Amino acid sequence: MKQALIQAVVLAALAAAVAAAAFQLHPRAPALYLVQEPLKADELGLKEIQERWKGDVIWLDARPADQFEAGHIPGARLLNEQGFEGQLLDMLDTLQATTKPIIIYCGGQKCEASRHVREKLLAMVPVEYCFILKGGWPAWQAGQGR
Amino acid sequence: MKTFPALLCLSTLLLASASAELVTEMPVIELKPKPEDETISTDFVFHNKGTKPVKVLKIDSACSCLSASLDKAVYQPGEKGVGKAEFKISSFIGRHEKSVHIQTDDPAQSEWVVTFVIDVPEVIKIEPKTLQWWLGDPAEAKVTRVTMQGAEPMKIMRITSTREQVEFSFKEIVPGKEYEVTVKPKSTAEVMLGALKIETDSSIPKYQRQLSFFSVYRKPANSETP
Repeated sequence: MKQALIQAVVLAALAAAVAAAAFQLHPRAPALYLVQEPLKADELGLKEIQERWKGDVIWLDARPADQFEAGHIPGARLLNEQGFEGQLLDMLDTLQATTKPIIIYCGGQKCEASRHVREKLLAMVPVEYCFILKGGWPAWQAGQGR
Repeated sequence: MKTFPALLCLSTLLLASASAELVTEMPVIELKPKPEDETISTDFVFHNKGTKPVKVLKIDSACSCLSASLDKAVYQPGEKGVGKAEFKISSFIGRHEKSVHIQTDDPAQSEWVVTFVIDVPEVIKIEPKTLQWWLGDPAEAKVTRVTMQGAEPMKIMRITSTREQVEFSFKEIVPGKEYEVTVKPKSTAEVMLGALKIETDSSIPKYQRQLSFFSVYRKPANSETP
């Protein structure tokens, strides 16, 4: 009985050791330390945007121009930090004529560009509904099943 | 034979406690472009101060204006590496903190953040950048001040508006240094978003045309008077 118990403990320790080594060495080990961050006051999830406005919003893409050209949300306009004033100038007619909510997105969860663009935009055009798409472009792609 | 599992467990524990630690020599990397610069780049040195090799999986920038790359993908313990960063200045002015997020294969340092501070000289200051009226406000004139803060004086040559529904004029307060631009909407009955294109005699192309904005807009429910 005692021997069986020892064997069981040894086997469990061996299994744990192999698992720990695999987790430590595997280049794509799951990020167990990450947690889902709650929505910030200026953020909305893609699902809520679709439910609230049926997707009838103005999308602004705050990523670099080359990434925008490589792919963007259909109908989105480019408005990033580095070209902000010139790009805003080009869309003044659109913004003047619309009451649609504005949703800004950038390259992902860690990207701050959409928040900076939102601050700059609101300082110039105080639209009532202006939000950031949580998760940015990757969230949109995931929502399309890509 | 009995010592084998114990040794295996011990080595696993040691392996688990080992970690990588990428650190830059300077906590914040400062960039100081000249007024005429369109881009500024810098090399930064870092070390893996940890006890295990680290593999760089991905480099993300928090800003479209900042790009970065490292000289290789895997850094051994104690190894020195060199990164290169480039900041596109475009319309940025003033002091900005931007960062790149470097994802590694080490859960103890899954993300290494390298912070840059870019101090772009504000050669032309336009204050306020946007003149604002709410719908129904009195259509009174408002003033924006244009100050040439560079070493060389700079004159406003011409101003044009993207909208015909505003009257505007400018006057020189201090020659080559300070100007006042007065804008008055003809009406505040309808939403209007527009811009003034301010042309200067600057020898630096990016300062030859500046923009200031004006808006007549719906007052948000919780806004204060502009």
